[in-house]
Amino acid sequence: MENTGYIALSRQATLRREMDVIANNLANIKTSGFKGEKMMFIEHLVRSRGGDGLLGHKVAFVRDISTVRDYSPGHMEQTNNPLDVAINGEGFFTVDTPEGPRYTRVGRFSLDPAGRLVNLDGHSVLSQTGQPFTFGPQDTEITISRDGTVATNSGPLGRLSLVNFENPQKLREVAGGLYDTDQEPQRVERGDVAQYMLEGSNVEPILEITRMIDVSRSYSSVKSLMDKEHERIRKMAEELSRAA
Amino acid sequence: MRSLSIAATGMLAQQKNVEVISNNLANMNTTGFMRRRTEFHDLLYQNYRRVGGTSSDAGTIVPAGVQIGLGVKMAAVYRIHEQGNLSATDNTFDMAIQGKGFFQVRLPSGETAYTRDGTFQLNAQGQVVTHDGYTVLPGITLPNNAIDVTINASGQVLAKIEGQVALQNVGQIQIATFPNEAGLQAIGDNLLLETPASGAATQGNPQATGFGSILQGFLETANVNAVEEISNLISAQRAYEMNSKVIKTSDEMMSTAGQLR
Repeated sequence: MENTGYIALSRQATLRREMDVIANNLANIKTSGFKGEKMMFIEHLVRSRGGDGLLGHKVAFVRDISTVRDYSPGHMEQTNNPLDVAINGEGFFTVDTPEGPRYTRVGRFSLDPAGRLVNLDGHSVLSQTGQPFTFGPQDTEITISRDGTVATNSGPLGRLSLVNFENPQKLREVAGGLYDTDQEPQRVERGDVAQYMLEGSNVEPILEITRMIDVSRSYSSVKSLMDKEHERIRKMAEELSRAA
Repeated sequence: MRSLSIAATGMLAQQKNVEVISNNLANMNTTGFMRRRTEFHDLLYQNYRRVGGTSSDAGTIVPAGVQIGLGVKMAAVYRIHEQGNLSATDNTFDMAIQGKGFFQVRLPSGETAYTRDGTFQLNAQGQVVTHDGYTVLPGITLPNNAIDVTINASGQVLAKIEGQVALQNVGQIQIATFPNEAGLQAIGDNLLLETPASGAATQGNPQATGFGSILQGFLETANVNAVEEISNLISAQRAYEMNSKVIKTSDEMMSTAGQLR
């Protein structure tokens, strides 16, 4: 009956992964548009061998079922850069990558050599009509209004595509603050964006640190459980061999 | 343990952040200096349990899957082109731009550089040059017999000539604007170069639509706000400490595993 060891192991393995999630949150404490994640655990019930034992039929293992992203807004920071845009409330910007459209909350945009509005990785930011924004050499004053309309001194160019999804939890993160999904994007009709602002990370350092302490303590308490189990088995073997 | 290397990326990123902040503070009194801001990106994600996988025979679907991010990297350091304060120097050839635009300077290599630092002087030929001796474009030469110079808000250089009542227009200072000022490349000495990311320069007279105006006898100070930088420094230090706590805790967890019998 090695169940105790395996159950303890399942807990320790998931705690280590939870620690990884916390470490990633804290590493990204200053990353624009970053959304913190939490680990969600469930019991994994397994029918035990022997069946009628005192424990009943089931043994509960732990599984980390998913990471849940916290979509609460990060703090807004004024940067005074005309190509910095933050989203108030729901929604994601759409950028065009070689792998298809990707979605992001990071509104740190720039211009590429062709005069296109791009994100930091050089992917075009798309408008509601699915076109990139292209600026001419004579365009000097770039303004982005609250509804996402991008305009210059020579007139409006189009509106930023702000989209949302039926289940934002199902978005997959790819590097650089971008998300990928198979879901159909839904246009956010009443989008509210702010020029000259950037959304900071929504990681709450105090919460993460307390969570980290919790993980660390749980990890060592599992260890002491394993030690005690080891001791119990050793004693049992000793007693039995003495009796024999 | 992955959390060790994840926290290490966090510490490295904050170290870079502190370097940028210290450069801002070091240049607090540099004329025309524009503060820099560090931008971070998250790294790749590892999938443990795919999003959308089924979690039971009944067909319940895992809401999000287990994704573990691998840390952070520095994505960019960019300049913030905010107007700095103006300080009066009463120097004839000191100029500040209020609003958008850059002075144009001809480098010895023939390239044009752009700057907000308007500490100009005259050289032996009576040309307006920077303190490094580079010509300010378009070249302005003052006549030998000029006794005083006025530069107005729209960049006209008006010289008072000995024995003449009317001021003589001896040149026009032009400034340049860019679609994306943050894309200019800094080469030190307060000079910036045009890049594909900045877009092409548009030249114009000061006070024209979209261009700032010129103030004679003033200099633009660095747009570094000491209080803001110090508070950024504190928060960078705290972030650094927290990441080091993660390393310490991960280490403790590893040693716990090591002590198992």
